[in-house]
Amino acid sequence: MQINGERHDNGHRIAVTGRFDAHETTEFRGYIEDLLAQGSRRIRIDLSKVNFIDSSALAALLHASRAAANAGVEFVLADLSDPVRVIFELTALDQAFTIEGAATSGPVGQLA
Amino acid sequence: MSLDAYTAYRTWAAEEISHPPRVSVVIPAYNEEERIIPTIGAIATHMSARGEPWELIVADDGSTDTTVSLLQTMNLANMRVLVAERNGGKGSAVRRGVLAARGEIVLFADADQSTPIEQFDHLLNRITHEGYDIVIGSRHAAGASVANKSMVRKMLSGGLRFVVRTLGGLTITDTQCGFKLFTAPAARSLFTRQIIDGFSFDLEVLYLANKTQMRVAEVPVEWIDAPGSTVRPLKVTLQFLQELIRVRLNDLRGRYAHHRSGAGIPAQTIR
Repeated sequence: MQINGERHDNGHRIAVTGRFDAHETTEFRGYIEDLLAQGSRRIRIDLSKVNFIDSSALAALLHASRAAANAGVEFVLADLSDPVRVIFELTALDQAFTIEGAATSGPVGQLA
Repeated sequence: MSLDAYTAYRTWAAEEISHPPRVSVVIPAYNEEERIIPTIGAIATHMSARGEPWELIVADDGSTDTTVSLLQTMNLANMRVLVAERNGGKGSAVRRGVLAARGEIVLFADADQSTPIEQFDHLLNRITHEGYDIVIGSRHAAGASVANKSMVRKMLSGGLRFVVRTLGGLTITDTQCGFKLFTAPAARSLFTRQIIDGFSFDLEVLYLANKTQMRVAEVPVEWIDAPGSTVRPLKVTLQFLQELIRVRLNDLRGRYAHHRSGAGIPAQTIR
């Protein structure tokens, strides 16, 4: 997995690439903590190049989202790749985040 | 972002296929509540995007966590869940799933996505264009990519390859990779004779394939050691050696001469 970030206005755009799993969550959490410590006002995570995301990475995203909310920072996921979008729907986590660029399409196959 | 794969997935998830499946994907699952849903999501997206009818079979192995109840609530039109009465071992779960498969091609894939599903197409080409009966993913064939595998597991793998060549007479470099493709006739022929219920069933299946002169291709794959693996390398290695000897003894005693009719431990099918 690769994490690339850039400043954008008062916030940061982060692009994650490759397989996002438990091997990568420590680096990801550290990255987000650094951004929050720097006083970023908006964090946008681009997931368009992620081909697989496991439950540990989903938990890391949730943790990051909550940490951002506690710090008053806007936290947005953007441009979910197809497999990531499906995984978010199957776990019903598409309801737990602000997602740009991939509208949710209802409950097909979603956990009840 | 392409909408095609997502749209194809939505159709597959909502509507039962009207033609016999071209491919059956079999995932054995024992206490996989943490990993099974992302794996299904990745497999369903990729396989649906291929545009051919396919089915998913999750062969539960007597899970005691919430794996089965999670699967029950997913409500995917072309997924069947085979719920075993009790834990019988990975070999018994894969056998149950493979023998329930209706596809022309049967893929057995581990529940942890160690071998990413995108590599399916590469393996399938060897069956459709070169006429192989079985195509197996290999972490040791030239060109394979292995990530995050511990040194202990690498050393044990090397030792096992030597033993398999010496005692089993197999030239295959990786019998244990959880990503194997079979034609339906080969799958039925092998899994109706396969006896071992534990994790060494792969070895037994490949031994039988070799014995019956099936054509087996080994294809290098990308493999990522999935976190949370419950495999204990030393224990597994000793068990593997025992079962390799057992396979040879079974053969000498003629236990592979006949096909069996049942799939083993009783299981209930849930859609």
